[in-house]
Amino acid sequence: MDTKETVLNILADLTGNDVSGSMDENLFDSGLLDSMGTVQLLLQLQTELGIEAPVSEFERSEWDTPNKIIAKVEELQ
Amino acid sequence: MGKVINVIEQIDAIATKHPDWIAYDYLGEKNTYGELKAYSDSLASYILTRGIKEESPIMVYGAQTFKMIATFLGIVKSGHAYVPIDRHSPAERLTMINEIAEPGLCIAVEDLPISLKDLPILEGQELVDVFESNKSVTPNSFVTGDDNYYIIFTSGTTGKPKGVQISHNNLLSFVNWEVNDFDLPEQPATLSQPPYSFDLSVMDLYPTLVLGGTLKAIPKQVTDDFKKLFEVLPTLGLNVWVSTPSFMDICLLQPTFDAEHFPALTRFLFCGEELTHATAQALKQRFPNAKIFNTYGPTEATVAVTSIEITDEVLEKYDRLPIGHLKDDTAGFILDDNEDIANAGTEGELVLAGPSVSKGYLNNQEKTDEAFFEYDGQQAYKTGDLTVMDEDGMLYYRGRTDFQIKLHGYRIELEEVNHYLNNDPLIQSGVAVPKYGKDNKVAQLVAYVVPEKNDFDSQIKLTVAIKDSLKDNMMEYMVPNRFIFVDSLPQTANGKIDIKTVIAEVNA
Repeated sequence: MDTKETVLNILADLTGNDVSGSMDENLFDSGLLDSMGTVQLLLQLQTELGIEAPVSEFERSEWDTPNKIIAKVEELQ
Repeated sequence: MGKVINVIEQIDAIATKHPDWIAYDYLGEKNTYGELKAYSDSLASYILTRGIKEESPIMVYGAQTFKMIATFLGIVKSGHAYVPIDRHSPAERLTMINEIAEPGLCIAVEDLPISLKDLPILEGQELVDVFESNKSVTPNSFVTGDDNYYIIFTSGTTGKPKGVQISHNNLLSFVNWEVNDFDLPEQPATLSQPPYSFDLSVMDLYPTLVLGGTLKAIPKQVTDDFKKLFEVLPTLGLNVWVSTPSFMDICLLQPTFDAEHFPALTRFLFCGEELTHATAQALKQRFPNAKIFNTYGPTEATVAVTSIEITDEVLEKYDRLPIGHLKDDTAGFILDDNEDIANAGTEGELVLAGPSVSKGYLNNQEKTDEAFFEYDGQQAYKTGDLTVMDEDGMLYYRGRTDFQIKLHGYRIELEEVNHYLNNDPLIQSGVAVPKYGKDNKVAQLVAYVVPEKNDFDSQIKLTVAIKDSLKDNMMEYMVPNRFIFVDSLPQTANGKIDIKTVIAEVNA
């Protein structure tokens, strides 16, 4: 499974929605993700892709759409 | 320290002796014990002039600020109980609490989102003028004994929240236990993170104030922004940490959250939901010399009634952490399926009896009679929590006897969520169920919904619209995280929604 697919699977599991058709949807504004959801997202990324994203550098505006999350993950890999 | 006899007078005594000690620190904005006394005395004196019926509580609306705690103290000094309502509550909840509690006054520390029928309001500049009016009061008017001190509203099964009445005696029992059994330092700097409408906040608020300590407030806008949270946390000089385990999970994501970067932080108190082995172990590794406590208790027995220090030995011995031993002044026993007192080692419903057990729900005799009774001359409460007690009195939490869940520390009655789902114009019928993570904790609230006919061109848009509409009526933490749209819901033989089947499906 590639990075994109893994991230989309994690997001589908967290939000209950297939977001692949809404890659630029703001997940926070739409209420699909909240801060506890974000924690679960970061933990899942850690487990499944070995990504270490320190929360002190977490800017919500850099992680608020599926496309941005995938870009961020690829940058951290 | 010695036993506290009166919470209000103890705080006043510190204010008189050390008026310049810092009581509250809101992101660097500091207020002293002297100010706390002056503000609360003046407010109490004002309330006394208003001729509010003695048994009427007073609603307080606001966030985590110094003025909030000064307001709480002013109200109890005037002999009334306060009903704390967080700023992030929907208008519907305010209306409902107003109807149930029949308050004599509302003090709006933050601007109210709606007007409340027939309810006088003290707010804005008028409130500031009252705080600064330099009036005095005598202890004769203070809340004391079995008088209600605060009333906290929790989730109710029919969409109607229940107001748990906590008296000064209830609070006193809790405060003395926390101050003495948790080895808290004098004048602690304590994290104040949960909203005041959530009784976990009582765990930081009163023990810190009776010890002359400082409450280090971090408001919701900081907790929600991880970057800001980690700019703020290391600057607070914390000694005592109080939070839900879920909030700790956020902090543990930060590698520099450890004893090296937080050298003064030596006490951790957890409550509100299950502390998992994984969270406790990770924390113990980061802070090997700190004392970490797991506690448990329903709001109805004043915040918490059991505790255990999580040592290396405890982590070694248990895969699922126990909730500990009951505090000395509280009795507990387990009822089996026949409502008989069970032997050690048998699973059943935990019943608590003692001085911190509430007198019951405000203006709700029916629900009070269902859960409260007198046992051996003490007030007793049926918790609805399935537990096991071993021969040494150690308690182990197993689950619920009903459809109440804890999500990130918040107590939610699934029936209440279902009530709102089924009243939503976009929903024909719906049911909310918990999805459990690997650690026995509820990870998400999932709703199975049969939607009304609609024109939304995607499920995401429908989900977003439903969430928006629900937020107008229910607390944000009660809104389901996920929506699964179906054509029909499974039903039991007598035509009710079969919630157990849905739970099994979600957790398959």
